[in-house]
Amino acid sequence: MSARDKVTIHKLPTGVLGLDEIVGGGLPEFSFNIIAGAPGSGKTTLAHQFVFANATSQHPALYFTVLGESAIKMLRYQQQYTFFDPAKLPNSIRFINLSQIVLEKDLGAVLAEIIKEVEKSNPAVVVVDSFRTMVRNPQGSLSEMDLQSFIQQLALFLASWQATTFLIGEYAVDELRDNPIFTVADGLFWLSQIAERNSVVRKLQIVKLRGQASVPGLHTFRITDGGLQAFSRTFGLSGHKSKPPSQRRLSIGIPELDSMMGGGIPEGDSVLVTGASGTGKSVLATQFIAEGIRQGEPGIVAVFEERPQAYADRAGSFGLDLEAPQKEGTLLILYLRPLDLSVDETMNEILDAAKRIGAKRLVIDSLAGFEMALSPGFREDFRESLYRMIFALTGIGVTILSTVEVDESFTEFPFSTYSISFLTDDIIRLRYVSIDGQLCKILVIIKMRGGNHSQDIREYEITSQGMVVAGERLKNYQRLITGIPERVNRSGEKEEL
Amino acid sequence: MVPLETRNLAQRLLTYEAATEKTSASTESMVLRVYEKLRRHLCALAGVAGFHSLASRALTLAKIKAPNLSTMQVAADGSLHQHGDAELESYKHQGGDGEVVLVSELLGLLHAFIGEALTLRLLQDVWPNAVFDDCDSEDGRKV
Repeated sequence: MSARDKVTIHKLPTGVLGLDEIVGGGLPEFSFNIIAGAPGSGKTTLAHQFVFANATSQHPALYFTVLGESAIKMLRYQQQYTFFDPAKLPNSIRFINLSQIVLEKDLGAVLAEIIKEVEKSNPAVVVVDSFRTMVRNPQGSLSEMDLQSFIQQLALFLASWQATTFLIGEYAVDELRDNPIFTVADGLFWLSQIAERNSVVRKLQIVKLRGQASVPGLHTFRITDGGLQAFSRTFGLSGHKSKPPSQRRLSIGIPELDSMMGGGIPEGDSVLVTGASGTGKSVLATQFIAEGIRQGEPGIVAVFEERPQAYADRAGSFGLDLEAPQKEGTLLILYLRPLDLSVDETMNEILDAAKRIGAKRLVIDSLAGFEMALSPGFREDFRESLYRMIFALTGIGVTILSTVEVDESFTEFPFSTYSISFLTDDIIRLRYVSIDGQLCKILVIIKMRGGNHSQDIREYEITSQGMVVAGERLKNYQRLITGIPERVNRSGEKEEL
Repeated sequence: MVPLETRNLAQRLLTYEAATEKTSASTESMVLRVYEKLRRHLCALAGVAGFHSLASRALTLAKIKAPNLSTMQVAADGSLHQHGDAELESYKHQGGDGEVVLVSELLGLLHAFIGEALTLRLLQDVWPNAVFDDCDSEDGRKV
């Protein structure tokens, strides 16, 4: 069957920021969907967002309420969200309470009432909230066949009447296998919320969606004044073509370091700058971003450990002006530290900012601060999330420089506490060494995926001009990377330091 | 305390119904007709039980201000009934403050729960030809 012969399934906007991308471009028209989850997980709000995004006076929405939350209270609370448009009531969105029929009559009467209202209004959207309450069977008089028949008839009728339907219910995961409603449904949206320590982690899964490919897995979502906001695991970059690899090198703003890296950082690389506290990681990162601004490359600094103003002030003390580019809109310093962030939300912030200013360079200062800013539940997935984030950002041509603090050891030479060096293209290691009774600093390029780099171990200083790589490579020492080097004379004999 | 605007709104509904009565020649009191129209719409929106709760609360509040409502009761279906031997008819033609107080209290509760904008939209749905934002209109009708 050629593509031309296939029926076109129109996609309706979900009204939820980020969700259209997750469901594959929008919700299939005339689909019969379930929104499941525990109380308070956002089911009703999600349904309202869909209803308000799609209902018009020509194509209205019918919202059937059944026991549970009263329509008056529902309206009271839902109108607090910014998507709630009172002008849509009652012509475009009509609330109908079925409690009395559900309490006094059987499912046949309920179906008859729904049919009557649907035939009267010819709605494009139908919601039943809560469907679970509607088919509750306390007396046990309802057979499984009765229930299956009711669901089947309801689904058939609503699809035939060209209505896109949402049934809302408080279902548990272990009901997925046996409940006939999940078999009949075209789409199944599962919302969950888990309290971990002092944070609440909300996740959404498209368990099934007929007719189109959705993004698999658990997606973080947040409930804000604007309702639900979903954060796709693919960061809204599904189907986005990666930029072809560039041959360009980006200057760090430290000429000697640029030359150690073969002319700078390859554009689109992810660079890890690692070292102990006070070795100058943030200084190097600031020089990288400031050099980009100088060369007309907008940049973003995501800071987690200090406020943007403090970051800009510190840069100023090294003669690097981060104030003017912020005013000009070529630099954004994002402070992200609400302590219950997900990587996906952070990514969303960064990607939005990157698109807004056309960022070419990004500094994450630091990964330890980033991890701390995440909800405990998300920290377990930090490595995996970081991988997705770096892959997504470098895919759109952003060059990322991340800093990470490592404990200084005199027996090891660790690059990171996260085992994330595989995520990075290039690693610059900074460390302290004891030379001639002084605590000095050395740097070395550990790896560069994009080509050859200097193997030299160079001494550097943090001056009023920032990081300055001084002198030639340290030739007369052995075991420099241990931090306790030994001087060797020309004949190769060790000398005491 | 029901705001003056809500009380004025209730009065306008009664006036509007009175204007309608001229053509329909109904003998029902305006308050019962207004109440009944609200009941039908609110039962559809909030369910019979939901409306019953609202109406009971409104009647309780109204009885404090209008003792002539003391024999009134809200039936299980949300309709108004006269308690004891008194006939509902005796209420139907009562004038004075009591008429407007019950409707005012009901509208006041709606206002408190769903806000002014939604309350007005709901009333507009019940009385599509009435104008609720035009206080100068003589009988509440569109001109």
